[in-house]
Amino acid sequence: MTAPARSANPTPCWKRWAFGTLAVLLGIVLGLGSAWWAVRGWGLAGPVQTGAWSTSTASGHVDADAYTRARVAVGGLLALSREETMYYVARSDDSGAPLRAECAYRIEGVPPPARWWSITAYAGDLFLFPNALGRYSLNGATAQLDTKGRFALTTAPTQPQGSDFWLPTPKAGPLVLTLRLYNPDPRIASAPASLAAPTITRAGACT
Amino acid sequence: MTFPANRRHWARWIAAVLVIAALVHGLAVWALPRVIMRKVFAGVPATSEANRAHFPPMTTADSRGIVLPSPDILYATCVYDLANRPLRITANPGLDSYWSIALYSAASDNWYVVNDRQAGARPVDLIVVARGAMRSASAVSGDATVIESPSTKGLVLMRVLAGDYAKDPGKYEAARRTLACEPLQSAP
Repeated sequence: MTAPARSANPTPCWKRWAFGTLAVLLGIVLGLGSAWWAVRGWGLAGPVQTGAWSTSTASGHVDADAYTRARVAVGGLLALSREETMYYVARSDDSGAPLRAECAYRIEGVPPPARWWSITAYAGDLFLFPNALGRYSLNGATAQLDTKGRFALTTAPTQPQGSDFWLPTPKAGPLVLTLRLYNPDPRIASAPASLAAPTITRAGACT
Repeated sequence: MTFPANRRHWARWIAAVLVIAALVHGLAVWALPRVIMRKVFAGVPATSEANRAHFPPMTTADSRGIVLPSPDILYATCVYDLANRPLRITANPGLDSYWSIALYSAASDNWYVVNDRQAGARPVDLIVVARGAMRSASAVSGDATVIESPSTKGLVLMRVLAGDYAKDPGKYEAARRTLACEPLQSAP
């Protein structure tokens, strides 16, 4: 009776240590890399979609799952929970094309049902664009409504024709729009996808 | 039919890598908000002193501390540390427009908020206690509202809606500067 065939030369000690160390290092790199990939780029967006806008019901909430908490910490730190404020984020227009600061976009809609609301333009790094006007947002107090009770604003690198409220953007880079609803109507807070979201359409060629 | 020894070896090695990756992934996702909040607590030296209110300038494109700053909101902050004693938060903005005081845990959760409509005509008077200290604080709280923080350290963030700040900065500054954060002095 012979013993089962085995390698005539068992793995040397140094090789086992090397493989072990490599396994640990590779595991750490994969673990950290996959964690970062899972949480970055979301901001305050989430699984709920209405038009070009996306939101999460769990931002800032004590009941948020670990991924939502991490995503909000990276891309929307110190968000209020949904009962107080809701945040909708748009990174592409209604056709699905990514928003670019060098393009002009017309954003139209009815004022959202909330005590106060605003639409703010951010750069890809989620900070405000410097501009000579010092103008960064349209809100419920500054929005002029037309005869149908709708507001309109244009984001563009140069002042557009017409009477739309103009939010200046620089000549390059991604554009992120955030719609805030402070003290939202409870019907929206409980069904965020039911918001009649502003439309976002490109207005002409990009510079 | 068994795998040759070297394929078994590789399978075990790959399994080990995946197990380690999964553990590291889970730990990283859990830890990230806590690490980010610790950076917020450390912050700029002027604002990192715990248990004191701080009043940063109005939000502009130069505001690059926390992402997505709202250009229509005037903020005030207070890092709290309940290790030694509870914290008393008082405010009386006296505005008829929106303001709120929100508290965030060390894990970044917004665990408490009071806004102007909820406060009504009464000034805000909160006593923030560490876990388990509710009863002893209630004995000395008077008319203040006692709330229990899920973490020893955290952040108070006051928001004052100030869309027309440039037109009347004094009004909004006076409102937010009513915010006070102080370690609770025990009743005599």
